[in-house]
Amino acid sequence: MKNVFNRSSTLLRKFLTVSLVAVLLMLVDNFTPWLKPAYSAADNLVRPLYWIANIPLRVQEWSASSLTPRSEIESDNLRLSKESLIYHGQLQRMSDLAAENMRLRRLLNATELVQDSVLVTEVIGVSANPLSHTLTIDRGTADGVFVGQPLLDAEGLMGQIIEVHKRHSTALLITDSNHALPVQVLRNGLRSIAEGRADYNRLNLKFVSPTADIREGDKLVSSGLGGLYPAGYPVGTVLSIVSVPGDNFLKIDIDPSAEIDRSRHLLLLYNSRDNAADAVE
Amino acid sequence: MESDNRGIAVCLTLILAVVLSLMPLSGDWIVWKPNFLLLTVMAWVMRWPDGVGIFFAASVGLLADILLRMSPGHSVIVFALCAFALALVSRWAKYLSMLQRTLLVALIISLVAMFEASLFIFYGRPSGIEYLPMKILLSMLAWPFIDRLVARMQPRRD
Repeated sequence: MKNVFNRSSTLLRKFLTVSLVAVLLMLVDNFTPWLKPAYSAADNLVRPLYWIANIPLRVQEWSASSLTPRSEIESDNLRLSKESLIYHGQLQRMSDLAAENMRLRRLLNATELVQDSVLVTEVIGVSANPLSHTLTIDRGTADGVFVGQPLLDAEGLMGQIIEVHKRHSTALLITDSNHALPVQVLRNGLRSIAEGRADYNRLNLKFVSPTADIREGDKLVSSGLGGLYPAGYPVGTVLSIVSVPGDNFLKIDIDPSAEIDRSRHLLLLYNSRDNAADAVE
Repeated sequence: MESDNRGIAVCLTLILAVVLSLMPLSGDWIVWKPNFLLLTVMAWVMRWPDGVGIFFAASVGLLADILLRMSPGHSVIVFALCAFALALVSRWAKYLSMLQRTLLVALIISLVAMFEASLFIFYGRPSGIEYLPMKILLSMLAWPFIDRLVARMQPRRD
């Protein structure tokens, strides 16, 4: 009996010691940047594990591409050629509109819009923690990636870079509960904040008063306020609007435009302002 | 398996658990994914309490914090708490049937998950408490496989 009590008290002592260390770690991490270098080094060390964890997915992709019948590839090729033709046609109209827009801005003495350039990148790791929406991409400082750089997929804004290493970077997605971005309704320019809520398929729209002109189906784009995200990139579509009696603001659900949990190839956005900043540095 | 090789077996099962934890899943499924690292550590604490204890569980918790990009220390407490609870009952837990062991693990995971969710609520972050029942159910389904795998790696007593 004495042994049992001795064992229990030893276990309790060990548990309390570990808990104390853990609480200290959390406090130090929350209030100081001291752990950041160690955390970053540890992240680099465990990087091969992400590569190993991605092997089944790569095998699946490889087998899917290798086993696709020739007829399917040919029909895909035909469809892509048609799409390319349509997009080229639209692009011609777009360049005409861009030139007209620039002329009008000059007439109004407004500053010219910056030209964005992009770099294609591939997702090499996804956060396994369902409540922390981050992903790792295969570009780093060697490719000129910087903290705060916007990330897109073919459909819309995905997030921003929060950590840069030599050969890889980590991005915080717009659906993360710690993320918010300024947006505006495409139809009428109504401004608001789209906030993540740890759900890959939903965002919240904050601070929209019950009298605001907003409807289900309205498209939202980045407003460019705050200077982090450039203006005009698709963010999402208004899915539902609920007016809670007694509440000062509407409860609005947004369906993100980007395929947050499915896109594999993404675009890193550079604009002339970033390039200028680099040149100064 | 020879007793000297149990350290290697622990490493191999942990690598497998890490790979399963990091394997990308669609957003609809990831919220229900069982914590394979925690389940593997629990299986080892139950089967080999003298070799895999609270300090070891805490170290794996720190690894989980790095892998899952959580505040360092968060999973350390969670893993240590589970190991502490299991170490207290490990003397008799190994004589339980598979069903009883699964229920015991489900009970510990539920209590610890609720503690973890309350921590998130305290910090004002989404707790993911709505996904807990399904996550615990899937953990219960995964447990027999992990427990059997760990049991096969124990030294034979002739």
